[in-house]
Amino acid sequence: MTLPRPRPTPADLAQPRPISAVRPARRAPSTSRRDALRALAAGIATALAATGTGCARRAADGRRVGSLWFAYGGKNREVLLGLVDRFHAAQSRYRIEPTYQGEYFECLAKLRTAIAARSAPALTHVVGEVVPYLAEAGVLEPLSRILPGGAEDLDIVPALGQQGTFLHGADRPLVCLPFNRSTPIAYYNRTLFQQMGLAPPTTWDALRTTAQALLVRRGADTVRWGFGCPVDWWFWAALVGQAGGNVVEPNGEVTLGGEAGVRALRFWQTLVHEDRTMKPPPGRDYNAWQAVNTDFLAGKVALIWTSTAFLRYLEDNAAKGSGAFEVGAAPLPRGVRASVPTGGTLFVMPRGAAPDAQEAAAAFLRWMMEPEQANHWATQTGYLPVSRGGLDLLERQGFYAAHPNDRVAVDQLAVAAAWPWSPALFRVQREAVQPRLEEAVLVPRDAEAALDEARRAAREP
Amino acid sequence: MNPRHAWHPYALLLPTAIFLGVFFLLPLAIAAKDSLYAWDLLTPPVWVGLDNYRALFRSGELVGTLARTLGYSAVVVLLSGALGLLLAVTLDRPGKVFAFVRGAVFSAYVVSWVAVALLWMLILDPDGILSAALRAIGLPGRAWLADPATALWALAGVSVWKITGYAMVIFLAGLQDIPRSLYEAAALDGAGPLRRFRHVTWPLLRPTVAFVTTTSLILSFQAFDVVRVMTQGGPVRSTTIFVYAIYEHIFMNLRVGRASALCIVFFFLLLALTAIQLRVMRGAAPREHARSRAR
Repeated sequence: MTLPRPRPTPADLAQPRPISAVRPARRAPSTSRRDALRALAAGIATALAATGTGCARRAADGRRVGSLWFAYGGKNREVLLGLVDRFHAAQSRYRIEPTYQGEYFECLAKLRTAIAARSAPALTHVVGEVVPYLAEAGVLEPLSRILPGGAEDLDIVPALGQQGTFLHGADRPLVCLPFNRSTPIAYYNRTLFQQMGLAPPTTWDALRTTAQALLVRRGADTVRWGFGCPVDWWFWAALVGQAGGNVVEPNGEVTLGGEAGVRALRFWQTLVHEDRTMKPPPGRDYNAWQAVNTDFLAGKVALIWTSTAFLRYLEDNAAKGSGAFEVGAAPLPRGVRASVPTGGTLFVMPRGAAPDAQEAAAAFLRWMMEPEQANHWATQTGYLPVSRGGLDLLERQGFYAAHPNDRVAVDQLAVAAAWPWSPALFRVQREAVQPRLEEAVLVPRDAEAALDEARRAAREP
Repeated sequence: MNPRHAWHPYALLLPTAIFLGVFFLLPLAIAAKDSLYAWDLLTPPVWVGLDNYRALFRSGELVGTLARTLGYSAVVVLLSGALGLLLAVTLDRPGKVFAFVRGAVFSAYVVSWVAVALLWMLILDPDGILSAALRAIGLPGRAWLADPATALWALAGVSVWKITGYAMVIFLAGLQDIPRSLYEAAALDGAGPLRRFRHVTWPLLRPTVAFVTTTSLILSFQAFDVVRVMTQGGPVRSTTIFVYAIYEHIFMNLRVGRASALCIVFFFLLLALTAIQLRVMRGAAPREHARSRAR
């Protein structure tokens, strides 16, 4: 009796074999070609299996693998990858495969395409304004069902999680958990401020006079600008809040702040065109944000507004080189009141990943919500600690006493203005408001007319 | 040679027809269908009829994008063609130095768009080489890419720099097809360099000019990388040209329907421009037509 020959597995076929093994004595060329084709097909199948995020698979060491798409470069990327390594060292059951997918908007574009193509990652993170849109589309997994042990015991800082964000959303299932949450803060060149005897401005008027004092012109050229800020919806929302308005009313109506919105926009116009103390940054989206950071580090702008996310990056890089200076952080100034929006991203688990991959991602997500990891992430980057227990721990350990710059964003949470999450929020931001802010500030164009047009565009389906 | 069966020519055409059908006509038909829906890739599409087209017209976006694209293309095609011709005529002579300069000019064309864009971002920065040079001669520097009045022309300038080498090489090939005897005869008749160019070079180079114009036009209409890297369509949409507008609608604004409507308009625009170009190209070679008719 002859035993049946075991069928080769795709892995066997992909392995190089001795020529004698693949080439029988007769009809050598055709068999060899067939084997080569088989090997090729097996190779493609193996590669597809390896890249298909929707397929379940195990790592070589037998761990369940879950993919994580992230959107950070630089320092924040290093810290995240370090945390993933720690997760692998802390347990032996799961492996997370992090993949950089470009900045937030690029990552989101890829995520939407991947969801449509049913190859979504098990875990990713998106900006807050996008969560209601994805939730409405029904493409997010309810986390309380998927997280090991449920989500009830997660001790999240209330201002930073999903609680109270969705429009009419008291009964919404939990679909997101905070990851890198932030507020805008002011950064100033402390060395220069001390030399000039200046203090960070606390009101809009003080911002104008401080920026004027910091300005250095040589002929028609500006050697040092007094103020820099990306002409971006997030910072405008801060100004609207400070002017006493809401971008979106609690009932979900998109008013863009009404009169307060116009005052906010006119304040920027004044700084750019009348005082000529604010440098309008080149580029759009996060290119403009990066340009503001670069100008600040190069000493071309003495005072900027940007996210608390860049705290460690700016501190570390300002301390290097010949023009080294000390970075100070300060809360944003008041208009008629103090107000800042929260920003940053939240973890979501898109539908469609294999159960094993989701299990791995959920384990990682829960681990990241623990005070130790949440605090490591926050203290290494500048983002806000999302765990309430973790935040208390940092206070008790004296972290904020030793790092007053880190304290600014945490204190600002007391005046954080939440905007109701409606599914249209993302489109209102990207399509209706953002281009018109640029137009009003850079062209320039009448603030009231620009915002009227933005309101009309926001109502468009 | 006659085919053995009447269907043979069609069978030979089939692979190309299938390729074109699957990768060109089918996507075009899908885009035409999608342009009648509001769709964001994730939620079910909603029938909106011609609303996407109406919204593009009413918001002024279509006219604005069209004007910017045509302006950008006109500058790129005319300047790169004129510079390419000038360089070709100047450098069409033997010698290692000329060969080196020809190679150097063409080298820009082979460098990737992203590398070129990054290089020019450094040059066009308010503290970059260009502004420093202007300051050195007493003129003020400028933020070329941050000013809505200059950004599009700065991008057009970068594209001209990049594709002039291509135009030059095609013109050089065209020049080498012109018989030297014609120049000698014109010189014997007392024609100077300018008259030789006007009466010999230019008429015989017209088909090449039409070819360079068509291909540069297509290249300029396809511009995306340079916008994506250098300005992301800004400041204030001043550099949002056609392909970038389509990209922004579909990937940033989540509007597949509106992006598809732009694709369809873009298709008909290119079709019209190509038809005009073909007429010009046919008109550019009257003698060959006459010769073929005489046969």
